[in-house]
Amino acid sequence: MMQAIPLKARDFKSDVKPIWCPGCGHFSVLNAITKAMAALGIDKDDTVLVSGIGCSSRLPAYVDSYGFHGVHGRGLAIAQGLKVARPDLTVLALGGDGDGFSIGGNHFIHACRRNVNMTYIAMDNEVYGMTKGQASPTTPMDWDHSKLTPHGPGVRPFKPAALALASGAPWIGRGYSGNPNQIAKLIAEAVEFPGFSFLHVMSQCITFCPEQTDWKAVVSEMDGPPLADADAAAKQFLHEDGFQTGLLYREERPTWPPVGETAVDETALASLAASFSV
Amino acid sequence: MNKQMALFLAHSAELETEAQERYEELAESMREHRNIPVADFFRRMVDEAGRHLEEVAELAADMTLPDLKAWEFDWPDAEAPETTSYEALHYRMSLRQAMQLALDNERAARAYYSDYADNCEDVETAEVARSFAAEESSHVAELERLMAEQPADHPHLWEEDDDPHMPE
Repeated sequence: MMQAIPLKARDFKSDVKPIWCPGCGHFSVLNAITKAMAALGIDKDDTVLVSGIGCSSRLPAYVDSYGFHGVHGRGLAIAQGLKVARPDLTVLALGGDGDGFSIGGNHFIHACRRNVNMTYIAMDNEVYGMTKGQASPTTPMDWDHSKLTPHGPGVRPFKPAALALASGAPWIGRGYSGNPNQIAKLIAEAVEFPGFSFLHVMSQCITFCPEQTDWKAVVSEMDGPPLADADAAAKQFLHEDGFQTGLLYREERPTWPPVGETAVDETALASLAASFSV
Repeated sequence: MNKQMALFLAHSAELETEAQERYEELAESMREHRNIPVADFFRRMVDEAGRHLEEVAELAADMTLPDLKAWEFDWPDAEAPETTSYEALHYRMSLRQAMQLALDNERAARAYYSDYADNCEDVETAEVARSFAAEESSHVAELERLMAEQPADHPHLWEEDDDPHMPE
């Protein structure tokens, strides 16, 4: 019998070529996802990438697996529904800071609370890039590069890790687009974690926020194991500078539904499906 | 089997693969953004990295290389030495700037192989690492020659009428 040849990262890329700007941090996340899939030996046919709208949400088209390009901010809702109905699949939801923390903010906090066994990767470039550079929920309050906010947004940016923790996320990691290999490792750990894993990636926008190229000089890696105490993590996430990367927080708690089980009533589902038959 | 050699060749293969795939990605995205001279240059670098990768594969033909995950390779920096950094890129970059990036990459690869040779206890592996460093030196010299032929960049290279920021 012939032995299957293990797939390489590039085997997980589709034939669709990204239209992101050269230097965009999202390339790094795409490479990290394919590297993680290759390392985990994931079956393409059992993997689904779900996204919302925005530059980063184009990503599922660039991966050779199943994908769903949803509506703005609703990637998490679709992904959770899919995972609950098909717990056998590996489900990753993807999106940007505007998609995930503003338009989809409600879905984000409830996904953290619900703890469905899936992974959410937020590619945060602190700007709405697809619509040409407006302030997002994570934009610094004095960022004055947009003509819509000539003196800066004037309001404090969200702290995604703190928000995720307060909402109940049991796995919180942070990566930086300048280090795709670290992101790949975090994605592999996130996928293997039994519960909702939230990976916040600082993903530079070279076009509208060129100053983000300075991130490379200030990011650092977290020393030691992730925090497991929510009180200590809350203190850290509220007061940190946001540039520490790695697996920041990890606790195991029961998922909804329990791992490997479905919350779907098959009889009711069949009845619903039948009601649509013609 | 020479384990040191197998580990070294696994790193060399990954270094060249990463370089090649990043150049390929850049060539495609620069073409997408109509920066054709830079796209063509990066395409040429894809071929260069590919040639070196073939040499590594030939040397490793009868060996079983360790199967390392992307994050298990031991690099001096976050990514493999010849991989173009995302921070230095822009769709409006000039051919000269692209060449400078490639030159920096080749110099980084040369330093990696050279340091490896200097610190490797296995004589046979050190010899191969030294030959790789010499090959990278020839790439450095070629790129320096090409750059010397390039005109200086226009002082307002980064300015354009259609600024990417949202119009009023």
